[in-house]
Amino acid sequence: MEAWLEFGRGPLFRLALALMLLGLLRLVLLDIVSLAEALRRSQDRIVAWNQVWKTTFSWLFPVGRLWKMRPVYSAVSFVFHAGLLLVPPFLAAHILLWKRGAGVAWPALPQSAANWLTVATVVAAAGLIIGRIAHRGSRSLSRFQDYAWPVLLALPFISGYICTNVATAPRVYQWLMLIHVLSADVIMIAIPFTKIAHCALMPLSQAVTAVAWKFPAGAGDRVAATLGFGDRPTWVEKPRLGLPERPAECQKSEVAAQ
Amino acid sequence: MLLSPDEVARARTIAKKPEVVSKQRLPVRYHVEDLDTADRPRRFLEAFAAILKHTNYRAALDHYIRVSNKCSRCTTQCQVYMASGDERDIPCHRSELLLSVYRRHFTPSGILRGRVLGDPGLTDAKIQEMAQAYYDCTACRRCFLECPMGIDHGLITHLARYILSEIGIAPRALVVSTREQLIGATGNTSAVPGPALLDNLEFLTEEIQSAKNVEVKFPVDVEGAEYLFLAPVSDYIMEADTLMGIGAVMHATGDSWTIGTKYFDGINYGLFYSDQILEHVLHKVRAEADRLKVKKILIGECGHASRSAKYFYPAYCGGRNAHPVVNIIEYAHKAWKEGRLRIQPNTITERVTYHDPCNIARPGWIVDQPRELLKAFCSDYVEMTPNGRNNICCGGGGGTVSIDEIRPFRTSIAGKVKAEQIRATGAKYCVAPCANCKKQLRELMQDQKVDCEIVGLHDILFKALILQEDK
Repeated sequence: MEAWLEFGRGPLFRLALALMLLGLLRLVLLDIVSLAEALRRSQDRIVAWNQVWKTTFSWLFPVGRLWKMRPVYSAVSFVFHAGLLLVPPFLAAHILLWKRGAGVAWPALPQSAANWLTVATVVAAAGLIIGRIAHRGSRSLSRFQDYAWPVLLALPFISGYICTNVATAPRVYQWLMLIHVLSADVIMIAIPFTKIAHCALMPLSQAVTAVAWKFPAGAGDRVAATLGFGDRPTWVEKPRLGLPERPAECQKSEVAAQ
Repeated sequence: MLLSPDEVARARTIAKKPEVVSKQRLPVRYHVEDLDTADRPRRFLEAFAAILKHTNYRAALDHYIRVSNKCSRCTTQCQVYMASGDERDIPCHRSELLLSVYRRHFTPSGILRGRVLGDPGLTDAKIQEMAQAYYDCTACRRCFLECPMGIDHGLITHLARYILSEIGIAPRALVVSTREQLIGATGNTSAVPGPALLDNLEFLTEEIQSAKNVEVKFPVDVEGAEYLFLAPVSDYIMEADTLMGIGAVMHATGDSWTIGTKYFDGINYGLFYSDQILEHVLHKVRAEADRLKVKKILIGECGHASRSAKYFYPAYCGGRNAHPVVNIIEYAHKAWKEGRLRIQPNTITERVTYHDPCNIARPGWIVDQPRELLKAFCSDYVEMTPNGRNNICCGGGGGTVSIDEIRPFRTSIAGKVKAEQIRATGAKYCVAPCANCKKQLRELMQDQKVDCEIVGLHDILFKALILQEDK
């Protein structure tokens, strides 16, 4: 048991953290490189960067815009994200681990605030699943990972809370701590390969969309040439794949015939 | 959801030439030139690969497949889903059709997973599903405004339609008009011959003369003019009032402008189904602009014509050296603010409301200008809810208005929320400065029994304009 815990906190933690950080960095870099390449290929390089930044900012800090649609689900999601983003980095117990392992420290959340936020996060996770099931549109869209992620993310919160605040037998404590550490490791490894990559990619979304609408000149003709319509554009009538040629009389303007 | 399952089923019927459309080898509700059916999955993937190779879509797709959270906020925005309650109409569900193909066939992990799990990948049935789904979407991009992950489902619809068109699947209604525009004798989507255009311009001059006692000429082929004017060519046939208003505005400001007889059609259906066509149509615009050595391009009252010119002309026709593109509403608004247009207040006393055409409102381009103009001469102007950048699609966007076969879908489902919006304002006039919106809204008012007249902005602005009368 000790060995598993040391492994989970030690080499596996370092591997998981590296995979998560490097994985996300790779995705962000790929996005930025694709953006630069796309702009280079297009003749139109004027992007409304102010608008892009404004919209990005309004989604990163969506107070004021989120509750206009699906207000209850939005509130639940907001609380959930607040807990996810504030508790793991600012919990005193975690900062102590960083101090011991890497010699760095930073201010911590007051313990009571951290406790309440943890409870709120777990309740919000349950709320997310209920919200997903209860909404018609949500139900038809959701995949396995959409239901599994709130459960997975709640695990370190539940186990961490019990370990910190509930007196338990040593064996129970060790099991809970093992679940805490391993679930966090699994989460970190899975992040770059699943939709949770949105934590790093979402700030780039508006920029990606804005640049994607900048089409490269001549691309349409090059596509047609690649597909074998090099002798004429694809929208010009001519036999394709061996179908018989239309007789000359039928090639009159079709609009006139209507 | 506003409709019962029966109503939804009835809405998904074919209105025009049902015997032709139901006999197609491709079971969609619109008429296609059903040429090649063999080997569709392979050809679809080849077309997809070719497009990915030469365009910038890959950047968006790689991003979108990773951030989609299935939060279903888009369901609160899509007017098609709001009316039908059908899961096929959820923007994220529809985008997933193409994104799943991309993941499975064009990403290493997808290809690997496919091999390991024995997933055969793209099937003919899936292509048929996409062919229908991507023309049930009006590409209004309202969903994009509410997606926290910034996924532009309108961009996915646009791309999917492009791929489909490269394997011969596109609504015949659009293809036929485009062929006439690009290789036909008349060179425009409505097959208006040159002499008919000139006759029409004379007619407009006469009408303005009798209405306002002013001689307003529509200049033709003027070299060195400041503006080359492009209207949706159907306006020359059907919207005399709009063109009269525009002519009067240009007369009042005194700026030099011209219509080019070699090319006078602002319509660009390439925006709806093929980037190659989008580019070729814009080349025609550039050729005419160069021939007449104009300084700027002025687009009339049309949403998609304005958008294709403003946001794609620079990409295809010269980058920073491309002609600036101006929409007639922003032109008139600026002239009015500068005091070059005089407007009589309280000319229109009946209740007026304003519909924001998606292509000019969604990017935040033309939102406040028409409202300020309207309030200058309408005494009872009311807003519909929602309005502005977030306004709801007429239901005929993305070229769907030109597909008469799907009128039941457009007026029962896609336009249902819009009809209720207009009905709730109690307005006598609904201003819709877009040729396609006008057609759709008029059909909508008819089918949904809403008592409201659809007009262009310049139609009623014409009544309020104070012009120096001829002696």
